[in-house]
Amino acid sequence: MNNIVIKTNNLSKIYHQGEIEVNALNNVSCEFQKGEFTAIVGPSGSGKTTFLNIIGGLDSPTSGYVQIADVNISKLKSSKLIDFRLHNIGFIFQAYNLIPVLTAKENVEFIMLLQGTDKEYRNKRTHDLLEEVGLGELVNRRPTQLSGGQQQRVAVARALASKPRFILADEPTANLDSKSTTQLLDIMAKLNEEEGTTFIFSTHDQRVIDRAKRIIVLEDGKIVEDKK
Amino acid sequence: MNLTFKLAWRNIWRNKKRSLITIASVFIAVFLAIFMRSMQLGMYGNMINNVVKTYSGFIQIHKKGYWDEQTLNNAFKYRKGLVDSLKQIEGVVDVIPRLQTFSLMSSGHLTKGVMIQGIDIDKEKGLVSWEDRLISGNLFSNNDNSIIVTKDLAQYFNKKVGDTLVFIGQGYHGMSASGKFSIGGIIDMKNPKLNKLLVFVPLKLAQDYNSAENMVTHLIINKDDNAENDLIFDQINDKLDQDHYEVMTWEKMIPELKETIQVDNLGGILMIGILYMIISFGILGTVLMMTEERIYELGVMLAVGTKKIKLNLMLVFESIVLSLLGVLLGILLVSPIIYYYHINPLVIPGPKGQALKDFGFEPLIPFSTDWKIIFTHAMIIFTIAIIASIYPILKVSFLKPVEAMRAK
Repeated sequence: MNNIVIKTNNLSKIYHQGEIEVNALNNVSCEFQKGEFTAIVGPSGSGKTTFLNIIGGLDSPTSGYVQIADVNISKLKSSKLIDFRLHNIGFIFQAYNLIPVLTAKENVEFIMLLQGTDKEYRNKRTHDLLEEVGLGELVNRRPTQLSGGQQQRVAVARALASKPRFILADEPTANLDSKSTTQLLDIMAKLNEEEGTTFIFSTHDQRVIDRAKRIIVLEDGKIVEDKK
Repeated sequence: MNLTFKLAWRNIWRNKKRSLITIASVFIAVFLAIFMRSMQLGMYGNMINNVVKTYSGFIQIHKKGYWDEQTLNNAFKYRKGLVDSLKQIEGVVDVIPRLQTFSLMSSGHLTKGVMIQGIDIDKEKGLVSWEDRLISGNLFSNNDNSIIVTKDLAQYFNKKVGDTLVFIGQGYHGMSASGKFSIGGIIDMKNPKLNKLLVFVPLKLAQDYNSAENMVTHLIINKDDNAENDLIFDQINDKLDQDHYEVMTWEKMIPELKETIQVDNLGGILMIGILYMIISFGILGTVLMMTEERIYELGVMLAVGTKKIKLNLMLVFESIVLSLLGVLLGILLVSPIIYYYHINPLVIPGPKGQALKDFGFEPLIPFSTDWKIIFTHAMIIFTIAIIASIYPILKVSFLKPVEAMRAK
């Protein structure tokens, strides 16, 4: 289990839409190793986002469990789960989701402030991360003063700030133009290669799929293909 | 904690127009509430002063049972030691002795029952503005043999300053009382009832007339305007032997004034209540908007690891700051205005003012500058803000990141 970052066991999620039951996930079991660069693909409604939400502890499975670093997160209480996410998981969202009233620098710092890290460390890491994503000159800009691509790069820096075990990215390039997509993918690939950061994406984007080292295909809530 | 406050502060100014509208509505509520209450309570204060300082004083001490049976036989000995000890109570400016009795006043074929007030004019000057009420003649000194009559009595007997009136009555313990005194001054008590009834006599002369040497029926407490009546009342009660004396506040002696104020005050409270209801809905509406439009964002913050307590603190702080700014602005702008009208009271014009004058009230509304009015209304607004914050607290407590992020 040394290199296994995430293990899911018979994960199922059933939603109720009125009287209709929807099987968003159906007995999904898989493992993610440290340093993987994985794309989860599949048509709309195949369960990609639900799978990511459950792995990230944002949603709970109807049955089965998720184990991260020997912790069964499906059993954690809400407050413990918030704390677990803070220290173990980085998130990148499709709509960037930066805090609009904070600058790029403050958005990156935010997670470390929640963690209670000291100021000197925080300043250095914020500076390094923003330099790494190519935004060293724009640290004092608020999200509305940044382009979509720049915002998503801040989101990457924010996701990395807490030194998480892995980063979950839900369709991170969906709102980006091709230039920004390439830049973002380059940054994430570099982080993966050089720092061994584990990335798991859900995506429709062929450019992302092309860069992935592992591709998991979901259909109707089941893994139909898992190729490395 | 700094992060929470920083986020809250920036969120407030994120939608400037909405925040300014909220601050303005709180400001208007605080301004109007303090203005209205200062005016109303200032008017009551003036009414009380008018009545109490004209005649009764704020607190009276009698021999036990005097109030129910107001005869000279219920007078008590004036003891300097007692008076000195009462004067040591904080807020007590002076203790004024009076000897009150009833007598027949006569001239020619006219006779009328009057109330004789034996007073120490020097001490009374600290309570009543005698010079302002004097229509003609002079105030007597304590050693004089002249008297002061109220204007309607002078008119009834068709007397002027320098004329003589004859008195006959019953003195202390059944002694006969009779005397002939010249009128030194004619006074307007600004009260129709009192103007038909009162004759003022130097205390010593009244005691001699009634064969009641060194006796008094009342000790009137003159207090500092800012001193608490109830506090002084309690301390006097502690000092006096309850078996021999009765202590009464003006509320007990003039219940009709208290009731009039209470009834009128209810109307004021109702108006303030309506004002606060409007402002409560305003604050609640703002809090609802501030919460609902940020559900997605709150969900994201929760997802990345922000504790719910921090989110709650942030939202509560936002509504407190908005209210605080409105309250401070309200206090800042209303304070000089109420102070101005405290120094330069509003004058009630026309027939209404005249009617008040006829009943012995000054037709003035001096605003109250009591800090409790400001404090009370500031606290009410804060309470409303805190209550309004319950909504976002509940909302965040039940918030699930996935559901919140579907809200967009």
